[in-house]
Amino acid sequence: MNYGRELLKGNTDALLLHLVNCQPTYGYQIVKELERRSNGYFQLREGTLYPALHRLENNGLIQGSWEPISNGQQRRYYYITPKGKQVLANRLATWQDFSAAFSAVVQPETT
Amino acid sequence: MASSIGHYLDSFKASLGLDLAIAEGVARELRAHFEDRRRELKESGLSEDEANRIAVESLGAPELVAHEVYDTHAQGTWQAAVCAGLPHLLFALLFASYHWQNVFCLATILTATVGLAVHGWQRGRPVWLFPWLGYYLIPVIAAGILLVHLPQGWGWIAALVYAPMALFVIFHLVTQSARRDWLYASLMLAPMPVFSSWLVRLGNGNALPADSAWLATVQAEVPWIVVSFVVLAVATVSFVRAKPRWHKVLSVFIPPVVISIAVVVTGPGCVDYWGSLMLLLPVLAFTAPFWLQSRIEFAHS
Repeated sequence: MNYGRELLKGNTDALLLHLVNCQPTYGYQIVKELERRSNGYFQLREGTLYPALHRLENNGLIQGSWEPISNGQQRRYYYITPKGKQVLANRLATWQDFSAAFSAVVQPETT
Repeated sequence: MASSIGHYLDSFKASLGLDLAIAEGVARELRAHFEDRRRELKESGLSEDEANRIAVESLGAPELVAHEVYDTHAQGTWQAAVCAGLPHLLFALLFASYHWQNVFCLATILTATVGLAVHGWQRGRPVWLFPWLGYYLIPVIAAGILLVHLPQGWGWIAALVYAPMALFVIFHLVTQSARRDWLYASLMLAPMPVFSSWLVRLGNGNALPADSAWLATVQAEVPWIVVSFVVLAVATVSFVRAKPRWHKVLSVFIPPVVISIAVVVTGPGCVDYWGSLMLLLPVLAFTAPFWLQSRIEFAHS
């Protein structure tokens, strides 16, 4: 399997938690926001997005709520929970440590 | 690929095999996603038909999305698991407390079973409902067996009238359950082979024994009857809590078959034709949902 896709799969939860933490949001907006912020690098399929959102909700990290919008349509907005904030903080810290350690290893050594 | 959003969501729900409440919730979310995408495509200058087609296609194959969503929700909560195992435990308790001949206890359990079965059926058929439905069917079958024992041949006439009605109820429940997932129909029918194996072991085949010697035989077997229903309860809890589908398949098939074989093989006498039929029919009914769902899917396609 594609390495980039594997990386995205392993970090989808952290990315989704971060976006929901920025502001309460819904599925379509999450897809768009991920694409925009990553300059098109992250393209999440619906078959990945909704199961991931539901898994986070089942684990009590986010909370979904149906809300009406202007044209009578309804959208399911997701809100981060206190437990979700805590998990996000841990994941971001782990990722930053990992990223720093990875960069330190692959950078050419300066003598 | 489904050509319209309605068709797409129907395919999605048919492939999902989860509680109707969950299926409807996810379908509603997918529809909202579709509407957003379609609006954006129309604003970019595409025609209505083109926008519809691309918005549906961008959702991905309904079967694949359903598969991913199923994996997320396949593992039931502990609450649902305990509730699903409860009818087996109640039945075990009925024997463990030696109240299985107490009409009041039987009536209470029967009323609770019917009440919970109807309640669950009306509330989106959650996974815990199916074992209760299995016990809901036992009085239907037992009444048919008892009718045969009415005096002077009237029993056979009554049974012949009753049998089509009972079969209709059973067939209706099995097909409705198999429409969602054949595993749930098999979960519902799991107590049947166990019941019939005990009936074959404790009965004398073509008559309904109720004398004191027979009652003493039943009392002597009570610990093993309790064990067999506790094993069914544990298997049911395991079924609800299991995530991989193969684990669910094993949980629903292995325990009832092993219990039935063990009950008959360790029994005192040989199994006659009537006994063989009593064993074979529930086992066939228990395995039939798999065949039935493939027929339903074939008819759909």
